[in-house]
Amino acid sequence: MANYSTSQFKNGLKLILDGNPCSIINNEIRKPGKGQASNKVKLKDLITGKTLEKTFKSGESVEGADVMELDMQYLYNDGSEWSFMDLNTFEQYMINDNAMDDVRGYLVEQDMCVVTLWNDNPISVTPPNHVMLEVVDTDPGLKGDTAGTGGKPATMNTGVVVQVPLFISIGEKVKVDTRTNEYAGRT
Amino acid sequence: MREELKKYNDFLQKIRRYFNDQSVLEVQTSVLLSAPATDVYIDSLSVRLNQDINAEQTQYLHTSPELEMKKFLANGSGDIYQICEVFRDNEYGSHNFNEFAMLEYYRLDFDIHQLMDDITQLLKTLGVDSQVTKLSYAQAFFEYGDIDILNTDFDALKIIARKHDLSTDFEWIEDLQILLFTHLIEPKLEKLPLCFIFDYPAMQAALAKVEGKVAHRFELYMSGVEIANGYDELRHVDEYRAVFEEEIAKRAMLKKYTPDLNKDYLEGIQPSLPNCAGVAIGMGRLFAQID
Repeated sequence: MANYSTSQFKNGLKLILDGNPCSIINNEIRKPGKGQASNKVKLKDLITGKTLEKTFKSGESVEGADVMELDMQYLYNDGSEWSFMDLNTFEQYMINDNAMDDVRGYLVEQDMCVVTLWNDNPISVTPPNHVMLEVVDTDPGLKGDTAGTGGKPATMNTGVVVQVPLFISIGEKVKVDTRTNEYAGRT
Repeated sequence: MREELKKYNDFLQKIRRYFNDQSVLEVQTSVLLSAPATDVYIDSLSVRLNQDINAEQTQYLHTSPELEMKKFLANGSGDIYQICEVFRDNEYGSHNFNEFAMLEYYRLDFDIHQLMDDITQLLKTLGVDSQVTKLSYAQAFFEYGDIDILNTDFDALKIIARKHDLSTDFEWIEDLQILLFTHLIEPKLEKLPLCFIFDYPAMQAALAKVEGKVAHRFELYMSGVEIANGYDELRHVDEYRAVFEEEIAKRAMLKKYTPDLNKDYLEGIQPSLPNCAGVAIGMGRLFAQID
């Protein structure tokens, strides 16, 4: 994989740091009057999800990470692995269940997701911004509350719990924003 | 528009009045020079001239009026100041530009402490009367970084840098000192409206006089932004030659452009400058701080 010089740094660039692939989320350049410039870089570790900060002298180069983000269809999970398919190549990728902690509540079979591959191995999945989930458990709604001013917790068919308006009942499908875990309507 | 221009006009007038009252003469020096800057981390912009009249040559826009003003000083100008645009290549960052306005001035028989006091007076006339903090470079490192900067060697500094997730890939200790200052100390200066840092490690001397482990240099920070850079100026032409040769050698090692030694310039400051201290102030940065 190619090396990248600090002058090529930009948000979204993928680098290897301490053995893990990371994505640049902020790149700040400081240049003292008489001194050498430096880049203060904030990165997200794509394996652990942690944010880290590193400072490089300008001109230093860092190994790039062979990271690709591909649109794939979620097929099924068998309890230990989750299966995705690249619809262009029909190639199937299996992701271990323990890498799915943050997203398993939003995966609906047939939905298109973004799968991040590092050296051709899937390391993370980003579900669509909105998914349609079915309510499998919630308290009965209050009569007359059609404006949905209040809220109540509802458990979805994927296991995730979302705050929904009082008028929502079991069996209904609701739209959920996967970035905020918020109710986003009924259609 | 007019309102903004008026503010800047007043700013310029006040500066000129201050120097006029102190009998410091305003001068203008050549912007187009025959040789580029030798500073290791400041790059000159080159200009190709006279191509259509078969008299092609390359000249360089000044990165600071310092050297030309020093010719005046060596030839008996006395106290002088200049306000001019300067040009630098390969500048980036939120406070850095390829062109910016600089105020550069020299006071005879001043040391850096007198010059810092003088700048404080100048700032007062511009309406800045915040409390002044003066810290030596070593004190700043002790206080804000718990580091004995003058007595810590390159390897030990690298260990400290690594602990702070800072780069350690440097050829020379001074570059690592500067990185540590930028990333560990500068952020702490943000809460100080007016802070002079003085007496830099000798290896960061540039064109300042060295005494023991320190060079008599200072920088002014206003709320964490570097505003001014001042020196107790080297005097003898041989000292200048030695610094330029070292800078050129370092540029060569970093595979940057390597100018020849500028003999015409050295001729121009023969045999020496008067005893003086000088400072460069970023006009845009200062204006932003007082506005």
